[in-house]
Amino acid sequence: MCGLCGLLGEDIHWSDPINDEWPRRRERLLRIATINRILIPFHLKVSDFQGAAYLVQNATGRQELASGLEQLWQTVETLLGYPLDPFNEQLMKHLEQIQ
Amino acid sequence: MTITMHVITGFLGSGKTTLLKRLLADPLMHDTAVLINEFGEVGIDHLLVQEVSSDTILLSSGCVCCAVRGELKEALINLLERRRKGEIPAFSRVILETTGLASPAPILATLTLDPQLRGRFKLGQVVTVVDALNALSQAEHYPEWLAQIAVADKLLLSKVDLVTDVQYKPLQTQLAAISHGIPLFISGQLDDPVNQLFNQGLESEDIASKVKEWQLYSPMPTAHSDKVNVCCLVMDNSLNWTGFGIWLSLLLKCHGAHILRVKGILNIGPKEQPLVIHGVQHHLHPPIHLTHWPDPQDQRSRIVFIVRDLDTKQLQRSFNAFSTLMKSNYSKI
Repeated sequence: MCGLCGLLGEDIHWSDPINDEWPRRRERLLRIATINRILIPFHLKVSDFQGAAYLVQNATGRQELASGLEQLWQTVETLLGYPLDPFNEQLMKHLEQIQ
Repeated sequence: MTITMHVITGFLGSGKTTLLKRLLADPLMHDTAVLINEFGEVGIDHLLVQEVSSDTILLSSGCVCCAVRGELKEALINLLERRRKGEIPAFSRVILETTGLASPAPILATLTLDPQLRGRFKLGQVVTVVDALNALSQAEHYPEWLAQIAVADKLLLSKVDLVTDVQYKPLQTQLAAISHGIPLFISGQLDDPVNQLFNQGLESEDIASKVKEWQLYSPMPTAHSDKVNVCCLVMDNSLNWTGFGIWLSLLLKCHGAHILRVKGILNIGPKEQPLVIHGVQHHLHPPIHLTHWPDPQDQRSRIVFIVRDLDTKQLQRSFNAFSTLMKSNYSKI
């Protein structure tokens, strides 16, 4: 557990922050903000749950908890009913418009 | 202490057992535990010193030899337990022989993801034995063959003396295209197999030169078969690790089965050291920091994907689309 943030921490993952430029909690919130930009076309929203899990909600109010990035994508798939594909036409168009 | 586990893979009949026979007789193997499929095939009776149990024997070199009869995880934990009890001598590395039809990716995932093995074992070199006589036909008919080549850190070509130059040339071309800069050894020309095949890869002091061997800086390769393609992505500006990690984790989750290998060097900011990534199928190894750029004149991020049945144009487009989230200043918004 991080003594400053009080985070229990998830499983180690290769995508974890590689330096300690910012506190872990800030890194986590930045990651969630980035994920939410991807999820806009799918009407899903991710929020932090006590610094130790992700809360994924859809437009109808259904919500699921996920621990770690791998499980998050699995949960998104469950709520969507299909895998979130980085080649998804709708998703790529949405990101291209941001540019 | 974390024990390094090296892997010997290769298609059925490629010469894994022949290599093992040679390795087991080598005195340099004294601090090694070898996990093999069957004792009978290797024929090590003349080297046997003591039978520790029905599936574990001690050889004259001090090498411990175990037959894997079930799960790899179980075999590795048993090995540690026996070492702790003093039933077998201490060893500093493990060499695993995979079955000929196995894709090595799940083995690598077990080693790094399993909570009981993580921290106790780490992946060393993956040596793939290639049968020069039958490789091209195996490449044509068996998808596992390709997965075994793509995952390799070292390639060992066997039965080269049985092929003519006309047969050898196309194989050499195909291997060069798939392996993308992996060192290639000829079985009959190995002087010191233990050191040549299992010396430290990315753990060596000169990681930058190892990364240079990956040919990330070679011109954009062209397609070399209908199914297998190499895709090289380049980003001029430094990238944001959080955004990149999100894209890559999504890509590996969704298309990992089609990604035979991914390797890259990333520029994650002017004050940061270059970061090396490499992975197989759904699995990515922990990133490694380099002390300097292999080519100081070119500090762009470069990622090479070796893919099978995956549209590389879509891969490039997805990377470009997500690049908004990978811009280094994005996370400071």
